[in-house]
Amino acid sequence: MLRYLAKRGITYVFMIFLTTSAGYFLAVSSLKPALLEQERIPRPTPEQVANSMRLKGLDPDLSPWERYVEWLTAIVTRWDWGRSPNGAFINAEFGDRVWISTRLFLASIILTLVIGVALGVYSAARQYKFQDRVITSYSYLAYIVPAPIAYFLVQLGAININETVGERIFFVTGISTPGMEPGWAQFVDMLAHYAVPTIAITLVGWGSYQIAQRQYLLDNVNADFVRTARAKGLTRNQAISRHALRVSFIPVAQSIAFTIPAIFAGGFFAEKIFAWPGVGSWSIDAISLQDVNAATATLAYGSVIFALGAILADFATTLVDPRVRVQ
Amino acid sequence: MSSNLDAGPAEQPQSAVERLHVAGLHAPTDAVLSVRDLHVRFNTENGVVHAVRGVDFDLLPGKTLGIVGESGSGKSVTSLAIMGLLPTTAEISGSVRLKGKELLGLTDKAMCEYRGNELAMVFQDPLSSLTPVYTVGTQIVEALTIHNPTMSKQAKEARAVELLAMVGIPSPKDRLRAFPHEFSGGMRQRVMIAIAIANNPRVLIADEPTTALDVTIQAQVLEVLHTAQEETGAAVVMITHDLGVVAGMADDIMVMYAGKPVETGAVDDIYYNPRMPYTMGLLGAVPRVDVAEKSSLIPIEGMPPNLIHTPTGCSFAPRCPLASDACLDGEPPLAPVPGSTLHHAACIKSGALGGEVDVHDVFSAPPVPVSRFDAIPRGERAVVLQLKDVRKHFPLSKGALLKRRIGTVKAVDGVTFDIREGECFSIVGESGSGKTTTLLEIMEFHKDQDGEVVIGGISNKQAADARTKAAMRRELQMVFQDPTGALDPRFTVYEVLAEPLQNAGMDKQAIKKRIMELMKLVGLQPDHVNRFPNQFSGGQRQRVGIARALAVNPKLVVLDEPVSALDVSVQAGVINLLDKLRAELGLSYLMVAHDLSVVRHISNRVAVMYLGKIVEIGEVDRVFDNPRHPYTRALLSAIPVPDPHVEQTRERIILRGDLPSPLDAPKGCNFATRCPVFAALPPAKQEKCLTLEPPLEPVAPSAAAQALAAHALPVLDQRFACFFPDGELDEDMLVVHESADHHAP
Repeated sequence: MLRYLAKRGITYVFMIFLTTSAGYFLAVSSLKPALLEQERIPRPTPEQVANSMRLKGLDPDLSPWERYVEWLTAIVTRWDWGRSPNGAFINAEFGDRVWISTRLFLASIILTLVIGVALGVYSAARQYKFQDRVITSYSYLAYIVPAPIAYFLVQLGAININETVGERIFFVTGISTPGMEPGWAQFVDMLAHYAVPTIAITLVGWGSYQIAQRQYLLDNVNADFVRTARAKGLTRNQAISRHALRVSFIPVAQSIAFTIPAIFAGGFFAEKIFAWPGVGSWSIDAISLQDVNAATATLAYGSVIFALGAILADFATTLVDPRVRVQ
Repeated sequence: MSSNLDAGPAEQPQSAVERLHVAGLHAPTDAVLSVRDLHVRFNTENGVVHAVRGVDFDLLPGKTLGIVGESGSGKSVTSLAIMGLLPTTAEISGSVRLKGKELLGLTDKAMCEYRGNELAMVFQDPLSSLTPVYTVGTQIVEALTIHNPTMSKQAKEARAVELLAMVGIPSPKDRLRAFPHEFSGGMRQRVMIAIAIANNPRVLIADEPTTALDVTIQAQVLEVLHTAQEETGAAVVMITHDLGVVAGMADDIMVMYAGKPVETGAVDDIYYNPRMPYTMGLLGAVPRVDVAEKSSLIPIEGMPPNLIHTPTGCSFAPRCPLASDACLDGEPPLAPVPGSTLHHAACIKSGALGGEVDVHDVFSAPPVPVSRFDAIPRGERAVVLQLKDVRKHFPLSKGALLKRRIGTVKAVDGVTFDIREGECFSIVGESGSGKTTTLLEIMEFHKDQDGEVVIGGISNKQAADARTKAAMRRELQMVFQDPTGALDPRFTVYEVLAEPLQNAGMDKQAIKKRIMELMKLVGLQPDHVNRFPNQFSGGQRQRVGIARALAVNPKLVVLDEPVSALDVSVQAGVINLLDKLRAELGLSYLMVAHDLSVVRHISNRVAVMYLGKIVEIGEVDRVFDNPRHPYTRALLSAIPVPDPHVEQTRERIILRGDLPSPLDAPKGCNFATRCPVFAALPPAKQEKCLTLEPPLEPVAPSAAAQALAAHALPVLDQRFACFFPDGELDEDMLVVHESADHHAP
């Protein structure tokens, strides 16, 4: 297993290196932070701009290859991912933003998975009955409605509640109220900020897991081995829960394993709408701000997350399916 | 005229039985399972399908009932209805009593007390019948836990080991922890049987338990079922379409057609004295592996009726050659055959069908076709296909990026044979023996192949350009196993048949004319050319496949299991067609089949393959009547014969285990690991088998025959690869069932 892991790890490190390098070349040749500086008032002279850029390691006069070598050397020797055009250090900014994204998504993704799989099993066992139709229709609706709209709707709902009660129970944007005393009040404040985004992301998210789990379970409900289990003397429901469920969980486990690292990757819409400045919104902002180093760093981070997901998915499959052997 | 006589008393005895049953006069100890007037209906989009229409039977303890019929005759639905495993949408009526207790109408939960306990079942497909994610041990123990909640863990495990040992799984203790995918098909079916008999059931239902298995494995599994029955004393319901499988096992037979039993009786009555034309047809449709004399098979024309519509007359009448107007007037009841109380048939003419009536008189079997080549000695006919030392080795490698070769799978290992004009040559063997790979190598026809393939004078060594290959393709065409998969569902039959002709560069008019010819040739109505494949039955589709192969007038047709996907009655028609075409068109066939009875019926010569090598080859009657290689002997002895007396008395060689993986192929004789002769040899002789590879050598005429003859006898057309063909067989591998315990009371 360790050997397998090492092998996969090396392959992924190589792939991450390739995507990141390619991304850097693309960013360095298309993003021109110097142009943005020109729009400042009072307008700086080109020499001033070039100077300030050079100080941040973003010299526009160097060739892309020279800048790539410089950037890569800094990462390899000092683990320094460079600076933004505004002077911020990527390393410092990055840590903050990953933590924010993680806090935003941690609870909601876990809830999404648990609720989605549970409802999938529940609805599969009641195929075409009223409960199944309601749940599955909802899932398809959640699938179709664009995430930003759903988030707005949840925000509106929270605001409505606030207005009805006449008191601000939920915060619909932001991470926390600044200047809170540590202690109980701060905890309540955190929950008030946390509730709306978590509910919104969960409500939108579990649809796809419900649909997948329901489908995979239904594929197995009439399988020959379920009939064998019933012939042994299990009732239909016992046979399904003991035999079909485990088999139907194999593909779901794989997709779950893929999702878990995504908790740390954040999401653009959620972060923007709920005003949590995480990795997701940073990656888009970096492009509009012509920020070469931030754009490349988020790309590299995305690749790492993906690789972790793939390895976890392999793990999950070997864990639930004895037919798969690791070699 | 006999109809009037029989129709009268027909109603009486049946209702008498019913009255006895209702009055409880049928002693409860009599029958362990008794089914009365079982009906099953399914609501479908097209209407109500009446799948089972009145099944009655009594099963006595320790006895075996065989239920025989074509697909769709309602046999599996009957068994699932008894088990209570039909979907809830099925409407079931009638009575099913297990030791006097009514089972129909019980809830799923109440049924669970009986299922797996007193009533157990073995299903058809062992590959999908076990849960893939649990160990075999877990699944056996589960069956024990459900019905014996108080049993200790150790006791359950001990019982599971005992069960696995009983069904013949080597080192059962270790195998408990193995997963189903680590077992072969035959082994999985043994595990299924172990699960079924875990709680000593009173009734064991086996639904086509061996249909998905190789013949040698089928023989092993039937043997296990036999042992299981002896150990548990259970009554067995054996459901099958193969009249051979039940001939040796069953005490009573019930033949089903269109959801209804049409003939019931003791096994001898059904096989030797059938009184219903359908039964007679079924028996006549099966080729016999033990009979050399060639007569045409009996095809039963037409298709079973659609069970959405209630039949107004005899449901078999549209396919019955004896049908008269009287047959269409009401469905005949199952009535006792004159002169017997236990033998019943649902035919108004059953009285007239007794005794000397021959199947061939009832059904119009076509005459045995004679080919113009039959008169010419084989040596003087032209060679259409020749294989010289053809090999196909697959490297077995390990590792993703850097591949290391860890071994070689010798799928085909030095195969040499030739096929002459007008003959049918068959390759037989278990799955994994290399039959299909041999076919693929012939179809591949590439100059880089290992060995030489010569088709119609064109060698693969000179097949450099596409033109030579195209010329070869016109000489050789293929018919595939699954007629449904081999035809494009979006092509009409016309388009299917036109494609090869267009490739050959024929013009439109000529193509049209040729297609009409082809349709007539294979016995399809020419005006059906614009239909799509799904509008035809399985047999008709295979006829389309044959027509497609014949379109370009090939000399050689390669048949890959041409009839194994078809029902027996339909299979007979396709075999007769192939026979006729060979004679009329002077075709040669290369056939791969696992059904040795079909091979014997249709072939002139046969090769037996084992692990990529031909172990015996020669004229079909010589090889089948006088097999020399122990593997051929085992293979032949494993084929069930639809004749109860033969089945009950003949000696069977039960090979141990499965075909070994080609990776572990032994150094000397490939077959040594499973060989019954090898097992009985003294160690000194065994050494020879293990170190030397036996060459394929001709059978020498016996010394006595040589002495009698004035001059040297001609070399017989039979060669085999074995050092000790006359060696004693290991007694442990021989099984003879005593006929005494098989006769019906």
